[in-house]
This record gives sequence, structure tokens and C-alpha cells, in this order.
Amino acid sequence: MIEVMRISKCFRRRKQKGRGLYKKFFGQDRKMFYAVRDVSFRAEAGTILGLLGPNGAGKTTLLRMLSTALKPTAGTASFDGIDIIENPLEVRKRIGFLSDDTGLYGRLTAREMIEYFGKLHGMEHKRLKERVNELFSLLDMTSFADKRNDSLSSGMKQKVSIARTLVHDPEVIIFDEPTTGLDVAAAEAILQFIESCKAEGKTVLFCTHHMHEVDRLCDRVVILHQGHLCFQGSLEEMRSRTGQTHLDKAFLALIDSAEVSHAA
Amino acid sequence: MRLSILTIYLKDMKEVLRDRKTLVFMLLLPTLVVPVLMNVMIGFISRVEKKARTETLTYAIFGAEFLPELADAFTEEKGFKKINIPAPDAIESAISEDQIKFGLVIPEAVREQFASGEQVAVRLYYNNASVASRVRDRAGKAIQEVGKQWRSNRLTGLGLDTTEKQESLLNPITIEEHGTANMREVIGERLGGMLPYLFIIFCFLGSMYPAIDIGAGEKERGSLETLLLAPIRRNRVVLGKFFVIFTTGITAALLSLTSIGLMLAVKVKELTGPLGEVIQSISVIDLVLIGAMLIPTAAMFASLLLSISIYAKSFKEASSYCGPLNFLVILPALFGLLPGVELDWIRAMVPITNISLAIKELVKGTMNYHMLAVILGSSFIIAGALLVFCTKWFEREEVLFRE
Repeated sequence: MIEVMRISKCFRRRKQKGRGLYKKFFGQDRKMFYAVRDVSFRAEAGTILGLLGPNGAGKTTLLRMLSTALKPTAGTASFDGIDIIENPLEVRKRIGFLSDDTGLYGRLTAREMIEYFGKLHGMEHKRLKERVNELFSLLDMTSFADKRNDSLSSGMKQKVSIARTLVHDPEVIIFDEPTTGLDVAAAEAILQFIESCKAEGKTVLFCTHHMHEVDRLCDRVVILHQGHLCFQGSLEEMRSRTGQTHLDKAFLALIDSAEVSHAA
Repeated sequence: MRLSILTIYLKDMKEVLRDRKTLVFMLLLPTLVVPVLMNVMIGFISRVEKKARTETLTYAIFGAEFLPELADAFTEEKGFKKINIPAPDAIESAISEDQIKFGLVIPEAVREQFASGEQVAVRLYYNNASVASRVRDRAGKAIQEVGKQWRSNRLTGLGLDTTEKQESLLNPITIEEHGTANMREVIGERLGGMLPYLFIIFCFLGSMYPAIDIGAGEKERGSLETLLLAPIRRNRVVLGKFFVIFTTGITAALLSLTSIGLMLAVKVKELTGPLGEVIQSISVIDLVLIGAMLIPTAAMFASLLLSISIYAKSFKEASSYCGPLNFLVILPALFGLLPGVELDWIRAMVPITNISLAIKELVKGTMNYHMLAVILGSSFIIAGALLVFCTKWFEREEVLFRE
């Protein structure tokens, strides 16, 4: 289970090139700005929580805080009761992170790469070997397991990335736009994989721009706009609040109303 | 804890060794190219030098009838060939067209001038732009010989009939030189300036590409963020990467040391005279100490380059930062090459320069070992401080996630 409690992240604004002044940013301090402000939500085990928002809404910053890559300015979050600020290393052991940027080591083979991350997670040699073989047969990777990542197709690379995410058998999996840039078959494989994670009782946080994926997978959604939480609830609640049957339109209506309230 | 550093080290090392660019800078360049280049250069210089000394010099002479003994001296001497050109005015153009190497003009009243006790001037035209030119030396020597003969005749006429009497008049005080520097010191001064420069540059070049690759390169490829999500402390990540860069840097430096050493060891059989003796007098301990000097150097470079690399957002940006740093490394290393620059307590405190000068002293065999200990100690302290800085730098979010 993930519990996010009034989490915020503030950054120092960089000087705008050519202007010499700090650009004003919707009523906030000129030198500092909040990428995420006072966001709270929960995601239960065995469910998929969708994280939505337009570009620049603060989704990546939020995910980076949850994965302990960034430290929150205020508030916190916990994974099965383990706090991300007090015990980041324990949190990292429990999470798997998969994004559209596969982040593979091109000069390593798929096997070398998965084993590397298994070792970094402190897995014992024998268990690691078993787990790697298990993942390779599960994801049908045996044929390219010993090829260098540079030589793999994008679908194969995505599989290596999935295996890397799962090698330590995490309880919580965070997906950051995992299907971006993939063809239909590769994207479908990812979506099926997310469904299987839910079936195994894992907690899934799924960030995407594709509403058909949200419709298919998510039990609940959280929508961010300009760093603020502007909606959380089920897909039915999203539709009923906006009076829209299509999820895309419901999403846009929620963003529009958030714009209006910010402007006010 | 240590296991995670080792895991990162082994993985990064494997990746680095699979990169051709690193292999070229770390292994190929210091091992093969430098000794080959040095060999070719030495061979080329000695060939040019030999040619300049032995080639037949073509010349034109005007006024030979006024001083036939000088004209005869050039005719009798081997290595000179007379060419006829129309007039003295054509000498300069004949030299520039490479028709002749030099031209001589003897004035008409040369004998009268000499007879009346005046100094006689013979004009020598030659191309003085060529560094390797030996024209002046060789033509001048022949002219001097005739001059010496004339002087001797005149002194004899004045009653100084023996060479000793003539010498005591011409050089009443002579200098009897007793140089205190041994031959190792003299040649080491020249050789010792060049070697540390090469070692330091190779150490830097060997570190540069791996540093950019495993810092900025990993950031650009998106794998750094994945690595940061592994349950290990960031200082372990820094140390793993630091040791990889350190290894490649020190390997490149030690390989250049070994390959130059081997080349000189092979050459020493061919080298007779003082240079051969100097090379033979460099002991294994001196080589070990030179190697020891390179350890903190490689550590300093590794920390600096990793800090820069991790700050940059891309391979390209990191390369553009490392360019000026290259210059900052070359300058202090180059300082040791300058003539007359000796190691003292002030220079012993200047990083890189002190290493460069200490290696020079070790080659010369004149190292002050107290100073060596201080240089090693201070260099290790600086390397340690830079590593601490690099570790702190790596923990900053604005460095790792720079937008």
C-alpha cells in the first residue's frame, strides 16, 4: 500500500535566458516554485492507481519523490508503513520503477544487466540465477538473453526493462508512461504485464496520457494540475462529476475547472 | 556495503572496456603510439641532423682572386660544390631558389686592409630561417681556418714564434671547467621534463572518456536514474565510479611509463655514451616512486572529471567542460618542461606542477626525499578532499536532476 501525505516539492527557479528577471509564476515566490504542492492520496494493494495530468503538472517530480530519487520539501509518503524520508533504502527494496525511457546499459547483455540490478538489491547468487531464468522464460527472453542491449529491438528492450523492474520481486510497481513510443504489440505486452501485477496483489501506480489505458486498467485515478491535486476517485466518479461519458472529455473538463479555480 | 561498490565497479569497468574510444585512450595510445612516435621523431631528427652535417653544400663566390687561399679552401674541402651565378646581386635569389646554399663575397681591397692592420670582412649569405641548417657552421669553419692561418702568420711576424706564446697573448686567462653536475643530472634535466608531461597527459586522457561515459553518458541514456533507485547509498555509487575512472587513468599513465621504459631499455643497447648511462642509472625504486606519484594524480583527475561529468546533462556538454580542464592540466604539467624551473618548497605545494617537477628530480637522481614525502602527502590530501567534494556534489538533487 502507498500512502502519500501532504507531499510538496519546491525548486529554485532558473534565470530566464535573455530576460534577466525571474519569470512570475502563478502567484508564487519569484525565486522558488512548487512542482508538487500539498498532495495526498492512497493506493491499496492489488489495485491500479492512475496518475494523470497534462505536461508540467508535476507527475514526474511526484514519482521521483515516491521512488526516493528526490527528497520532499514538505510532507512524506510511506510504502506498507515504511517512510520514504526516514528509510529510503528499505523503500527502494520494495519498489520497481518502469518508464518509457528504458535506461538500459547498451554494452551489457540483457542477462548481465538484470543480474547487476539483482546484485545491487542484495540478492543471493543462487536465488538471483533462478529468478533471472524464471523472468527470461516468463517474458520469453531466452533467445536474446545473451545479446548486447544495443542490438535489441525496442520491444526486446522494453522486456529487458520489465525484467530489471521485477528482478527483486517488488511489492509496489511504478509505471511512468511505459507505453510511450511503443508499437501496438509491445504496448499490449506492457498493459498485460500491468494487469498481471494487479492479479498478483501488487500495488500499481500507473502514470499515462492515454485515456484508453486508464479506462482498461485503473481502479482509481489521481489528477494533478500545476502541482496541485485536482481530482481523486474512481472512473465512475470522474464521469459523474463532469457529466461526460468519454474519459478524455471528463479529464479535460476537470483540468479546465482546475484552471478556472487557479485563475480565481 | 563494500559489495555494492565492487558490483558497480565491476559493471562499469566491463562497460568501459567494451568501449573502443576508451580502449584507444587507455591502452593503445600510451602503449604503442607514444613509443612509436618517439622512435620516429628521434630517428627523423637524427636523420635531418646527419643530412645537414654531411650534405654537399653548393655555393657561389665573388672576389676569389683577391683571396685565393679562401677560394682554394672551399675547393679542397669535401662537401662543397661551386656554382657559377652572374653577379653578387643574384646571390639572394639563387639561395631562395635553392640553386646555392650560400654565397661569399670577398672585397677587393682585402689584402691591403690586412696589410695595414685592419680587420677584414668577408660577406656570407645563407638562409638563416632553417633550424636544422648547418651552413653557417660549415662555411664559417672554413673561413675561420684561413683567418687563423693569417693571424698565426702575423703573430709570428711580431716575434711570437710558438703556439704557446701566441695563445698566451690571445687568451691570457682561460677557464678550467669543473661542472659539479653528473651526466645523469645534465641529461635528466632535459629528459626528465618531458616524461612527467607525457605521464600526466596520458593519465588525464585515460580518465576523461570513461568519466564522461559513466557520468554524463549514463545520465543522458537514462540509466543513472534507474541506478539511483537501487537500494544503495549514493556515496557507494560515487566510489564505484570513482575507482573505475581512477583505474583507467592510472593504467594509461603506468602503461605509458612501462612502454617508454621498455623502449628505452631496448634502445639502451644501441645508445652508447652518457644517455645510455643515464637510462641505466634509473633504478627500479625510482620507477616505483614515479608510479607512486601518479596515484594521487589519477585520483585527483578521477574526482574532478566525475564531478564535471555528473553535472553535465549530456556527453556533449561534459566534453565541452573537459576541454578547458585539459588546458588547466597541461599548463602546470608543462611548467616542469621549462628550462631552469627547479623543485623548491613553494613549487612543492602547487598541485600537478609538484608531481611534474618531482618526477623530473627522480629521473635526474637529485630528489630530496623529505620533499617527496610532502608532495605525496599533500597530493593525497588534495585527492581525498576532491573525492569528498565529488561525493557531496553527487548527493545534490540539482546536480543529478539538472533541467
